Amino acid sequence: MVDKGKISAMQLAFLLYLAITSTAVLIAPAITGGIAEQDMWLAPIWGSIAGFLTVFIAYRLNTIYPKQTIIQYSEKIIGRIPGKLIGLLFLFYYLHLNALSLREYGDFVVGNFLPETPMFVVLGTMVFVCAAAVRGGIEVMARTATIFIPLIFFLFLFIAIMLIPDLEPKHMLPIMENGIGPSLTGGFLASSWFMQFFLLSFFLPTLGKKQKGLKWGMLSVIATMLTFFLANLISLFIFGDITSTFNFPVMSAVRYISMADFLQHVEAIVMAIWVTGTFVKIAVFHYVLVIGTAQWFKLSDYRQLVFPLGFLLIIMAIWSAPNLQKVAHVLGTTWPFYDVLVHVLIPTLLLVAVWLRGKANGKNARKK
Amino acid sequence: MKRLFKPEKRLLTIVLCCIPIFLSGCWDRTEVNDLAIIAGVGLDRTDNGKIELSVQITNPKAIGGPGMSSGSGQSGQQPVIVKTGTGKTIYDARSKLQEKTSRQLFEGHNRVIIIGKSLAETGIRKHIDFFARFPIPRLRANVFFTDGKATDILKVIPSFENGESAEAARELAELKIGMNVTTKDLLQQLASSSGDTALPKITASKSKLGEGLKVNGTAIFKNNKLTGQIDDKVTRGLLWLTDAIETASVTIQPKDAEGYISFKILRSSTELIPTIKNGKWKMIVRITTEDDVTENETKLDMMDPKIVEKLEKQMEKSIDKRIQLVLDEVQTGMEADVFGFGEAFERTYPQKWKQQEDQWDKKFPEIEVVIKSDVKIRRPGRSGGPQGVPQEKEKKK
Repeated sequence: MVDKGKISAMQLAFLLYLAITSTAVLIAPAITGGIAEQDMWLAPIWGSIAGFLTVFIAYRLNTIYPKQTIIQYSEKIIGRIPGKLIGLLFLFYYLHLNALSLREYGDFVVGNFLPETPMFVVLGTMVFVCAAAVRGGIEVMARTATIFIPLIFFLFLFIAIMLIPDLEPKHMLPIMENGIGPSLTGGFLASSWFMQFFLLSFFLPTLGKKQKGLKWGMLSVIATMLTFFLANLISLFIFGDITSTFNFPVMSAVRYISMADFLQHVEAIVMAIWVTGTFVKIAVFHYVLVIGTAQWFKLSDYRQLVFPLGFLLIIMAIWSAPNLQKVAHVLGTTWPFYDVLVHVLIPTLLLVAVWLRGKANGKNARKK
Repeated sequence: MKRLFKPEKRLLTIVLCCIPIFLSGCWDRTEVNDLAIIAGVGLDRTDNGKIELSVQITNPKAIGGPGMSSGSGQSGQQPVIVKTGTGKTIYDARSKLQEKTSRQLFEGHNRVIIIGKSLAETGIRKHIDFFARFPIPRLRANVFFTDGKATDILKVIPSFENGESAEAARELAELKIGMNVTTKDLLQQLASSSGDTALPKITASKSKLGEGLKVNGTAIFKNNKLTGQIDDKVTRGLLWLTDAIETASVTIQPKDAEGYISFKILRSSTELIPTIKNGKWKMIVRITTEDDVTENETKLDMMDPKIVEKLEKQMEKSIDKRIQLVLDEVQTGMEADVFGFGEAFERTYPQKWKQQEDQWDKKFPEIEVVIKSDVKIRRPGRSGGPQGVPQEKEKKK
């Protein structure tokens, strides 16, 4: 292991939960709502199936190679060159994914709060903080997530409660107007968030008690699904048909809050959730990228990579899309396929390869 | 942690601690005293087809700082400033307006949007986009229609609310005497398949005692264009029908007695139940309402269950009549679906709705509406029998 830190399974669940829900809550209602319409609340439920599957695959692979990440064991399973290629694909994927998340964050902050601040500054400050956390190692990040969890949980709950007077459940009807199809397609788009649970592969080796990894991984998927579900439901109950016309429906909904004429203008809460959540997300993905790169090159330490790769991340965020429209378009069309390839297809093939080899040569596989 | 206390690291730590000071949003720094806080926006159309944007800006000097008697302000200071700009779009007009304003215009606290008649007649859909796209305005702002120019409403200085007509208008909408439509509601209605909507009508009332605003009546929009207006009385029917009635009183004259009896509505709910039988579209409106007696001019005993039952029947009829009034004017007269009938059918009969969606305009006026109201008089108020009448002369029937 490049990083010697150890975290608990619960901390791991917190890390993943924050890393995945932070962007999902803000953007997913618009993306899933565009396709599933009034059935958008079903989308996270279908999508979570992918989450359970990826957690299971990551856990199975980890039980075979307990001390290694996918970058390392892919070489062992299918040979050096193909393994390296898969590793490279994973590294590129995480850089790309993280750059897009960073870009979403930048577009949100610049578009809603700081219209005149250059994007580079908004992104740069965030990446700098994240890189510092990554340099601190996995234990530092896990503790940060543990501190943030109650904060984000209560703020999110606060928002949900404040919005109750404006909710109109009738927007949900008719359920499945066009059959199960639209909600399944929406679920497929939502699943791209759930598939990110494959990150588990990089964190399971750092667990103190491995047996709990599966349980907490599944719990984290369930928590993500519920949060996602709630965010979609709130947006739907407030805006109905027009949900997908807003780029950040939850944000627009929170700006709509007005309790007894004085409790209003509380969108700073959304900002707080978004910024803390995005911090964890970028840090987690950056950590994975850095650790993966170190393992790919077989380096003994990863710390020197943190800042150079962070700089690459900023540039990538600015390069990867010319505008917010393109980001949303990519996330709503091709991205889920990319996710399926990296997070489901390749790991499943690896697992099948291990299983076949195990059948052919039982002893060898067990030795590793 | 130990690494932090090495001498060379200490300097780095200090430098890092100083950096955030310079990062606190330099580019988007705005001081409160550089802002022109907009309380209300008015939209009109000029004769040559341009948008005339009027804004009501809170005058910070007149509001008064700490130590001043609350709300009165300095003598001679206008509580609000109304400014107008003209342009091709709202934002264009806004930038023209900015040229004339020494402070940066800020819509974050905008409470009302008033649409003038001239603009309403040419369609409102395209103009409402600005309020959902520009990041600063909120979707909570109340939308009104005015029969004249929107600017005139903004210029009114009412006696309450520190003389801010925008705030007065918002408070009126919150009372729910007329319709209460926020930008979000308007967006939703415009996005429905018919695009028909209704906006509360606001008018300025001037008298010797001072200026004021009142919400009386409703403007009906068919496919986002103004088609007609209904008065206060018919608006009540519309409120009953759309389940928006809240602070309401009903006054009836009992058949077998002299004088009137007034009731206060405690709560009321309206349910739209669409039915399609043998290709016939029918809408059942079920209204349940609970009332208390607030005034009794007659000699009837309000404690008598039989009398109360009769009164309930009579009130049901009076509600039915109100609703029939609005159906006659809006459903068959203007043919505008502002009641949400289309949506109700869509929710209950999604398949049949799809076949009929294109013909909804033709179908809507022909829909049979059955009103089933159920009035429950809960309490007689503080008195039982009529006041100021000798016991033996009370009517017991």
